[in-house]
Amino acid sequence: MIASALKTRIPDAPGQAPGSHTGSAPVSARGRLLVCDGLTKRFGAGPPALDNVTFSIDRPQLTVLLGSSGSGKTTLLRTIAGLVPLDAGRIEIAGAELTPASLARVRRRLGMVHQDFGLADRLTAAQNVLAGAAAHLSWPRLLFQAYPRGVRLRACELLAEVGLTENQANRKARELSGGQRQRVGIARALIGRPQVFLADEPVANLDPQTASGILALMRAAVETHGAGILCSLHQTDLACQFADRIIGLKAGRLVFDGPPEALTAQTAAALFASSAPDPDAGSDASRPGQEL
Amino acid sequence: MSEPEILQGRTPADWHLKPPFDFRVLVLSALAVLCLGYSAQRLDLGRLFSDVGAFFMASAGLTESSSIGEGISGLSGGMFPPVFDERTPVEYVDDLETRLARPFTRLETTATDQTVLDPDTLEIVTRQIETQVLVEPLGYLFLVLLKMLETVEIAIWATLFAVVASLPLSILCARNYAPHLAVYAAARTFVSFLRSVPELISALFLVLAFGFGAIPGIVALALHSIGFLAKFFAEDIESADVRPQEAIAVTGAGPLAVLRLAVLPQVLPSFTALTLYILDRNVRMATVIGLVGAGGIGQELKGRFDMFQYDRVATLLLVIFLTVLLLDFLAARIRRVLL
Repeated sequence: MIASALKTRIPDAPGQAPGSHTGSAPVSARGRLLVCDGLTKRFGAGPPALDNVTFSIDRPQLTVLLGSSGSGKTTLLRTIAGLVPLDAGRIEIAGAELTPASLARVRRRLGMVHQDFGLADRLTAAQNVLAGAAAHLSWPRLLFQAYPRGVRLRACELLAEVGLTENQANRKARELSGGQRQRVGIARALIGRPQVFLADEPVANLDPQTASGILALMRAAVETHGAGILCSLHQTDLACQFADRIIGLKAGRLVFDGPPEALTAQTAAALFASSAPDPDAGSDASRPGQEL
Repeated sequence: MSEPEILQGRTPADWHLKPPFDFRVLVLSALAVLCLGYSAQRLDLGRLFSDVGAFFMASAGLTESSSIGEGISGLSGGMFPPVFDERTPVEYVDDLETRLARPFTRLETTATDQTVLDPDTLEIVTRQIETQVLVEPLGYLFLVLLKMLETVEIAIWATLFAVVASLPLSILCARNYAPHLAVYAAARTFVSFLRSVPELISALFLVLAFGFGAIPGIVALALHSIGFLAKFFAEDIESADVRPQEAIAVTGAGPLAVLRLAVLPQVLPSFTALTLYILDRNVRMATVIGLVGAGGIGQELKGRFDMFQYDRVATLLLVIFLTVLLLDFLAARIRRVLL
């Protein structure tokens, strides 16, 4: 009975968009999962972190953002998540434009995983996954972490799907290994049935074998959950192995957009070649963290 | 800007490394010493050293006596042995039967010399008067323990009220969760004000408002504790790791949900530690504010001290010390279980 509350409210979210976008709504909602149009962001003086980035994701697929540190991958993902305000440009998620007013509503169609997992260490794996459904919960339920039965069931299913056991689901997040924690992060991102799934360097802190496992899991999530995944990576081999499509970023500019087969060795090498004036990537990478 | 230019193009042998401290530190240290010297002179701190020196000289038998030694020996003579029993003349006891029925209670007859004026001869004579007293061997200790319990209760209630009030207040005091900058500034100012009023002073006024007893004590301690807890809770909220918060916020959850699911799990250990510290502090402060009539063992302490009954003061101090020790032990246990 209570379970239906969540189940009906989540499909509701995209349902609201067609109301505002009369006519083209079904195409917009189903066809274009993510539209980024002329995104520009500048942190202080110096070159822009994002420079007129335009692309769209039209169907569920695994899109990899490829680029070196400081190329603007993280900034791009954070602007799409509404964590960094844009200087110019427009973002549309599943047919609804991202504005300060629509932020909370539009974000319900989003899921996100981070390089360092972003889990609450003292909560169990299952509690972390359930926290991803917080947007759909009333305040008293939140206070006591009393999730409806349906949500709990979905959390268990997702945890099993990402390969965790019942025992691990009840372990504190800090007791899990890096790979297991990222699996929990993926399950948490999926519990709200997102249409767009953002992953910011999800395998940067993991060993190669675990990294492949995580990317295979995300690959599978495209099909099982129908989500458009936008995942930033700096490993060309992993990108070519798992991506449906690769978007190359360099110094905040979109320099490549196509299937992995189209990514030549030269293009890949050029993506990671140090750009002349500013080799200090460390300061660039620390920028987004300072925002918010 | 200029640093990389300087460092560029020099061989490592020519590199200049920053010294661990520089001229500025030396100047500041010298200034600090000068200020402290001036202050010591103003406060007549020299006497502190000469008196302490004289005390040690006297203890070693090098000099006859010292002012500190005399003060201490006078006080310790009065304080030892501590009094645990209660002796009440029988004529003042209403319920003699029931009190006699209690264990260890007994009747004693004591003879005291009394100098009186004989009405017939108009001479001053010394007579021996026999009085029967009810002796309760641990009677006074029980009274003190009861008062101590009241003090601990005052501290617990004050801490409870403070935590309940501080949790919402700390959200308003946290820059990243305050709904508006004006709210943030107002909340911070209010909290600073609460913290700036010492319990003893607010208890003085609250005793006037509420009358003698535990209530003004609870209110005074709670107000000060709110000022402390709200500030430190807020600082924990501000410095909590943002990544779990972002991960929850990105799903469209509101700030309260983020606070509950991403911030609270992070700050709970620190909140617990702060609360235990405040409880410990409130127990100690509750004894002090009793001095101005705000209930508990302090009231008893002040009364006995004013009546020069230092043997009873000794009992009181002993019980306070043991209670603080016990609470410290308990707090350590609670902390270990919770964290």
